[in-house]
Amino acid sequence: MATGPFDSAPRPFSRVMVANRGEIAVRILKAAREAGLGSVAVFSDADAGSLHVEVADEAIHIPGESLAETYLNSEALISAALSSGADAIHPGYGFLSERSDFAVAVAEAGLVWIGPPANAISTMGDKISARVRMIESGVQVIPGEELTVPDGVDHLGALATCAARVGYPLLLKASAGGGGKGMRAVSEPKLLRTEYEAASREASAAFGDGTIYVEHLLTGVRHVEVQVLADSQGNCIHLNERDCSLQRRHQKVLEEAPSPAVEHELRQAMGAAAVKAAQAVGYEGAGTVEFLLSSNGDFYFLEMNTRLQVEHPVTEMTTGIDLVLKQFEVAAGLPLGITQDDVGISGHAIEARVYAEDAARGFLPCVGKISMWKVPQGPGIRVDSGFRQGDTVTIDFDPMLAKLIVHAPTRRAALRRLDTALSDFIALGVTTNIDFLRDVAAHHTFASGSVTTDFLDSSDVSTLSMPEADPTVLVAVASAAQRLGLERTPSTGDPDSSDEHTGHSGDPFRTLTRSFP
Amino acid sequence: MEWSVVEGAGRYTVRVSDSDGHLKVSSMQFDGSSVNPPDISISRADQRGQLKVEVSGASHLTHVAKVGDDWWIHMNGRTYVVRMHEPGSSEAESVQGGMSAPMPGTILEILVKQGQRVREGQTLLVMEAMKMEHRIQAPRAGEVTKLHYSVGDRVDMGATLVEIGD
Repeated sequence: MATGPFDSAPRPFSRVMVANRGEIAVRILKAAREAGLGSVAVFSDADAGSLHVEVADEAIHIPGESLAETYLNSEALISAALSSGADAIHPGYGFLSERSDFAVAVAEAGLVWIGPPANAISTMGDKISARVRMIESGVQVIPGEELTVPDGVDHLGALATCAARVGYPLLLKASAGGGGKGMRAVSEPKLLRTEYEAASREASAAFGDGTIYVEHLLTGVRHVEVQVLADSQGNCIHLNERDCSLQRRHQKVLEEAPSPAVEHELRQAMGAAAVKAAQAVGYEGAGTVEFLLSSNGDFYFLEMNTRLQVEHPVTEMTTGIDLVLKQFEVAAGLPLGITQDDVGISGHAIEARVYAEDAARGFLPCVGKISMWKVPQGPGIRVDSGFRQGDTVTIDFDPMLAKLIVHAPTRRAALRRLDTALSDFIALGVTTNIDFLRDVAAHHTFASGSVTTDFLDSSDVSTLSMPEADPTVLVAVASAAQRLGLERTPSTGDPDSSDEHTGHSGDPFRTLTRSFP
Repeated sequence: MEWSVVEGAGRYTVRVSDSDGHLKVSSMQFDGSSVNPPDISISRADQRGQLKVEVSGASHLTHVAKVGDDWWIHMNGRTYVVRMHEPGSSEAESVQGGMSAPMPGTILEILVKQGQRVREGQTLLVMEAMKMEHRIQAPRAGEVTKLHYSVGDRVDMGATLVEIGD
């Protein structure tokens, strides 16, 4: 039997199951293999042919179509781990990654949980208890009020009173929320009811908990988050900040490290606050403390994400530290092996989230088969994706196609590299936001590093776009392609690709602008 | 064959001539009137799905893929869609006033009644799709002539949700 890297660690494990899908499952499964660990993937019916299934040593089918039956089914996931001989579970992000009951169940099944302690997840996962704990620990929080309403009481009445005290504009947040879901801005009292109902519906649908709390809406602020790493021996360090100020409806669009708004002293202060926040909940592993940074340098605790973040690669590129590997080591009970002084900043990294969505139609998610897929390559370019040419983008899952991460010596060079890489990113057959990402990255407000979180929501997106190509050239190209018989594009994956030639069932573009009777 | 670049904005017809594998535009019309494209020459490139496009002397390696009636074109770092139409075929019904579902989902709320006058941009109904709420707004002012669904109904992408008359 081969020896594993953690055989003699305090909490040994040798085979990791990733309870996730898509790009993050691919990322973690590859990291496991690189670390000399076995890797196990899980997949639902819809994911039978997905990339993450291919990159694992073994893949376990969890029957079912709905998320509740599959990626949110902790019982089925744990038995899949046990049956595959996996002795550790990595939850990735999303799904069950921030569910403390899952962390507990994994440990009770005798498996190593690659994540923070369950009580750290639950304290930080509940936005109200997180706020209270931060106030107790001396970490500054956003002015606002916790609102606990017992069942059966008139939520709206209590909410209106509370809202009046906090003052408008305000932000309604689901206590169990995150990722922009269950979060609504309210500019004036008469909109409170509609926004509350929408927020609470989204929150109940996404998290099964409709509790809301009220926070003063800070405007003209930046979203700056600090990556922390802690081990089980009491060492806790920070890996500098990421700036995720470019957002649309609280969804991050571009993320970068370091922040153009953070100088050395502020970095130390924010880092120290992040470490304090992590230590206040006895954190272990990789986590992110999110802050809002105002223009005068004051920063306020927003929330802590007790998991790996989507945008973790920009930290990896600028610090040279593999966060997933560190998660493995900490889960095995090993010390961090690095101190705060070992953490530097090398150059500048930017991540662009490539989504199947139509910027021209209100960013509606798009579906379809990826007929051509060529991702950019070259020095300082990294693409994390769970998609390949021939794969189909469906409504079953998040429409993120890939993360493009660029790294260069300076921010200016990174911006140029980003633009070039985006222009070389070819995804045909499904509408993507790639052109939008280019426009936004080239916009002088982003280029100058002065974007605040309200920039995209207060901008007319159409004014960002660059001039269109000459339509007569496009028509000439299309008719030439038709004439030259280029319909048959290279297509891997589904061998039954008759759909793309006939345009019959399975081809959503037949129906995009046509209506059914 | 007719071609459109922007939905509903008009149709192109084009004649191309082939000289030794280099395609050139011999004539082009937009909605019946002659237009003059720049000097352009198009030939196959090394790989499938690639074209070499020379426009006024500048060469661009262009990637194309056909999905249904649409030619997807990646040229100069941007992606475009050119749609092919049978000559004389009419525009999609949706352009004529039907509001269709932009994606599959569930109807959460209907904010208008049949017969009600609505103004342009007014929210007609709220859909839930991909776990987010989407507000479907009136493309123009008019009277709601038909509501096709009720709250809680699941709808397919492209399904007509609301019809608006004058």
